[in-house]
Amino acid sequence: MATTKIDNRTRWDTLHKNGPFPLKLFLTTKLEKNSSGLSGFEKYKDVAVEIQKLIQQAADSNEQFRAIGSKWSMSNIAHCKDRMHYNSYMNLKFPIFEGEMHQDSNYEHSNLFWFQCGNQIKEISLFLERRGKSLKTSGASNGQTIAGCISTGVHGSTIDVGSVQDYVVGLNLITGPNPEDNIYLERKSRPALRDTYVQNLNARVIRDDETFNAALVGLGSMGFIHGVVLEAENLFLLHRYVKKIDKAKALQLANTLDFSNYDPEIPGTDFRGVRPFHYKVFMNPYNTDEEKYAVEFIYKMKYYEDYKTDFGNPIPFQKEFVYLDLLYLFIKIAEKFPKSIPKLINLLKSSILPKEEKTTVGKLSEIFWDTGFQGKAFACSFGVDHTHSSKALELLAKLTREHPVPGIFAMRFIKKSEATMAFSKFPFTCMVEIDGIQWSDKEKIIGLKEYSKKLIGVLKDNDIPFTIHWGKNADWEFPGLVEHMYGNEVKKWKKIRNKLLTIPMQDVFSNAFLDSTKLSEPLAADEDLIV
Amino acid sequence: MRLLKITLCFGLVWTMTSCYSVRFQVENGQWEPKDTEGGDPYYSGYYVRTVQKKVVFKKLTTGADYFNISDCESGALHTVEYRNTFGGILLNLVTFGGRKKVNVKYVCIKENSM
Ligand SMILES: Cc1cc2nc3c(=O)[nH]c(=O)nc-3n(C[C@H](O)[C@H](O)[C@H](O)COP(=O)(O)OP(=O)(O)OC[C@H]3O[C@@H](n4cnc5c(N)ncnc54)[C@H](O)[C@@H]3O)c2cc1C
Repeated sequence: MATTKIDNRTRWDTLHKNGPFPLKLFLTTKLEKNSSGLSGFEKYKDVAVEIQKLIQQAADSNEQFRAIGSKWSMSNIAHCKDRMHYNSYMNLKFPIFEGEMHQDSNYEHSNLFWFQCGNQIKEISLFLERRGKSLKTSGASNGQTIAGCISTGVHGSTIDVGSVQDYVVGLNLITGPNPEDNIYLERKSRPALRDTYVQNLNARVIRDDETFNAALVGLGSMGFIHGVVLEAENLFLLHRYVKKIDKAKALQLANTLDFSNYDPEIPGTDFRGVRPFHYKVFMNPYNTDEEKYAVEFIYKMKYYEDYKTDFGNPIPFQKEFVYLDLLYLFIKIAEKFPKSIPKLINLLKSSILPKEEKTTVGKLSEIFWDTGFQGKAFACSFGVDHTHSSKALELLAKLTREHPVPGIFAMRFIKKSEATMAFSKFPFTCMVEIDGIQWSDKEKIIGLKEYSKKLIGVLKDNDIPFTIHWGKNADWEFPGLVEHMYGNEVKKWKKIRNKLLTIPMQDVFSNAFLDSTKLSEPLAADEDLIV
Repeated sequence: MRLLKITLCFGLVWTMTSCYSVRFQVENGQWEPKDTEGGDPYYSGYYVRTVQKKVVFKKLTTGADYFNISDCESGALHTVEYRNTFGGILLNLVTFGGRKKVNVKYVCIKENSM
């Protein structure tokens, strides 16, 4: 039998210490031991019963229950005050075989895999690589769980691929304590698995596009994601190069995403006119004199076995790269400067982003590698239509100069997601992000919430439609914020939540984040009919 | 007296500079996670275990014996960190190489991750 360790706690915090937040119980469930002789499927079914028992216990105590992944979110989306469940040990993995496919499915069975919620991106990549497969995209780093990723909508900067949730084709949700609350969701328009396979896992099949899309970015509030079926692809290589290019060119590429006449002039290559797999712009908002921006170009290449002979092992180099991710870049710049935040900000005015210009070639999992910094940090991230990217960056950077905080900017680009509440809602979304280190009230600079409120304000005042990364810092209590960002989609999302979860279960799967964003408020009965 | 002072200073500098830590890590494995709070930020989110036996005898440092690690459920290690401290060097000096203080930390590979 799966077992759950229940610890009494008074507080809990995120990886980057964005809390602490109050907590009563911390639950960690472990699968039945391998020595039990149970098959993977039996262990999966067994732990589903355990999760349902925990949900029942929370409901009986009138308490909230929230699954968490690697606690990498910096907003309080992963927190609830009562019972938090640590999923990381729930990491079963199942390849899908031909006979398990739905008769109308267009997916290639060898690309489909069922992963339990607590599988982390790194272990998924390693598992897939041993089978000649790869994830289609990931974030800049690899420590999140698969359920945590899709619940907020984790993205990289893969212009034509999308975010992590965009290659999920099936979802196993536990929405309550009863047998019929164990459900498996797919799109009706794109079925993947045959009913008997799903029923063997004791789950009830629901095929519906609207329901699937709403549950995909579920903010931890559409029930417990027990497993996801995702579509992988054949292994590929990525060619990575960071160089400084003229500001105007970097911004023009961002606004148009048209690379047809552009030559990145990367030594030893000819990527002229080639649309990159990944395009990312780094920017120090404080140095307005700098004529160039640091830009990361990543191109997709065919996989071949001995690429390390030609390009070297990318992993040891990762430690030398300053452009690993935005936060790491900032830490690398800041460590040369004094500890005082105002002095640091002052020095950033004359600080030039470092030159890197080294080629790395590796698999997706080798390019988007382990994170380099685990200290106290903040991150704010806004999604805008890519045609507004330079304008949004200019406005947010100007505001940051007026109200300085210890951080720097980047822009990443993502294809539109079908998920109802995905922040990548524009045809191509540009995520304008500022990452940096936390500061204290003693520093006499603007508070994070106030700063983030001003960021929201400046985009609203300039009529730039935007979204915000659910897992990042923001003034989530900003009045009417979520309706402003998603309009009618909010109602669609709530309607599906009403359909999947009973009212008592909606309370169990709510938290302070959902309350601040008003997403925990059920739809009025008449609105339910209109949507 | 002056010579003694100089020797002591040199000795102190030598012992201080002999403090070091070495970390070995596999690149193709998933470390075992844990919901940690506080501690070494480098290991934030990692399930770090430490070797209980801190004072070890000569047999162990000459390769005639080994540390037994039995609590990795996956049966595999992801990270091993060995740290040599000032106290360890002093103990080694005082016991003429008979005993040594070592700090070993390790992180297992996550079970079922392979
Ligand atoms: C170092 C670092 C780098 C980052 N890089 C990126 C990046 O490149 N791109 C990007 O988009 N984001 C990035 N982020 C943000 C982070 O990846 C996201 O917030 C992500 O959602 C965190 O995943 P997690 O597994 O840690 O989940 P958590 O933060 O623990 O939880 C996130 C949400 O998922 C829910 N959840 C988790 N498991 C389940 C489950 N089984 N069932 C139901 N709900 C569940 C939680 O309740 C919560 O609502 C980064 C964060 C850090 C700290």
